[in-house]
Amino acid sequence: MQIHFEQAGASFEGRVAVEPLTLSLTERRIGIIGLNGSGKTTFARMINGLVKPTQGRVTVDGFDSASDGETVRAKVGFIFQNPQNQIILPILHEDIALGLKNRRLPRHAVDAAVDGILRRFGIERLSGRRVHELSGGELQLAALASVLVTEPEVVILDEPTNQLDLRNRALVEKTVHGLDEMAIVISHDLDLIRDFDRVLLFHEGRLAADDAPSQVIARYRELAA
Amino acid sequence: MNTLYVTGNSLLHRLSARAKLIALAATGIALIVLASPLLLGISTLAALALYASVGIGWRQSWLRLRPVFVTIFVVAIFALLVNSPEEAAVTLLRLTTLVLLAAAVTATTGIGEFVDEITLAARPLERLGLVRASDIGLAVGLVIRFVPEVLGRYQAIRDAHEARGLKARPLTLAVPLIILTLKNADDIAAAIDARGIRGHKPARRSKER
Ligand SMILES: Nc1ncnc2c1ncn2[C@@H]1O[C@H](COP(=O)(O)OP(=O)(O)OP(=O)(O)O)[C@@H](O)[C@H]1O
Ligand SMILES: [Mg+2]
Repeated sequence: MQIHFEQAGASFEGRVAVEPLTLSLTERRIGIIGLNGSGKTTFARMINGLVKPTQGRVTVDGFDSASDGETVRAKVGFIFQNPQNQIILPILHEDIALGLKNRRLPRHAVDAAVDGILRRFGIERLSGRRVHELSGGELQLAALASVLVTEPEVVILDEPTNQLDLRNRALVEKTVHGLDEMAIVISHDLDLIRDFDRVLLFHEGRLAADDAPSQVIARYRELAA
Repeated sequence: MNTLYVTGNSLLHRLSARAKLIALAATGIALIVLASPLLLGISTLAALALYASVGIGWRQSWLRLRPVFVTIFVVAIFALLVNSPEEAAVTLLRLTTLVLLAAAVTATTGIGEFVDEITLAARPLERLGLVRASDIGLAVGLVIRFVPEVLGRYQAIRDAHEARGLKARPLTLAVPLIILTLKNADDIAAAIDARGIRGHKPARRSKER
């Protein structure tokens, strides 16, 4: 899996959110940190084409994320900053099955895939629950299950431990660490990304550091001070 | 996030979505044809019994059905003014029966089932090249899904007014409601894209390695 930015940048109504940058992402665990509004979410959304670069281009395994968005999104799963917004149907197993809908699988194959993914995250008991009744941690795992059931090669998580209590935070951290898939994680929770392979730091729309976690976290502390 | 579905194990819960939708459509046609207040009155009672069997509870039912019943009432009053009392009774009973039946079906059918059945029903249109059947199914599913959501948001905005000691005026309620609903629609659209729920076009799939 190779994600490539070629002088790619994004602006909204003329205001720059991400300055043009060139880089390749191939590591299994990549963290993204930075202050509020520094461009982390925009950068991540450029990867799967939800935000189209206003200059340059972004490719995933050679597919252009702007013009070949559907192919790219099949490879790149995305867990939103607010997972409430990505759960579309109210009952968890229905929502997970929805992601498989367009494959036109027979019913038993869909059920087997849904059961399998619930078991993988140890949340079988949530299968028939209403999504709006889940706790923050359960919701995060539910969103992860609904995305991973379609077997993307990379998963992007936008602040997965935000608003979670200590126990749920630990649960989500453990789950993220255990993923087989390549993961790109945006986080204000520095513990989560401390032993990642690579960390990117955004500051006012610019890539301010790109290195091993300890160096980048140190730089972040300087910038935030 | 709320849902119109009510958990339970009534007769209606056990019937398949397809059977319920077909029966609902057939009853709808029969009700339009039927013009006897007596027969319509009996249908209304039957519909009420069926609705009660679902086990929604009076308070919930009142919350859910009040807006529709207000509308039906207005329509009936109008019929009374321009037509005969009999005409008004027919309108009132016909619409009430239909609403009760539709509400009972909605409360006992999961949205996933709705999506599947509507998608299947739209397949012939897809073969004519008019639409993507799965889009129609998804659209209907989203409508059912978001009705309670919009109502819930309305409630939240009203609470916010009260908490801040503001008087709730139609304009100060409507503007945030519309903005929040549009913002939410944007998020949902992004989620549908991100999760690939509308699927790939076959031409693109062949390019995948
Ligand atoms: N859809 C949009 N329309 C207009 N401006 C936007 C849009 N999305 C983001 N922005 C702007 O782009 C900048 C970067 O936003 P972004 O959401 O990428 O920040 P972030 O680093 O994810 O912040 P946070 O930590 O608060 O989530 C901000 O100034 C924001 O206001
Ligand atoms: Mg963000």
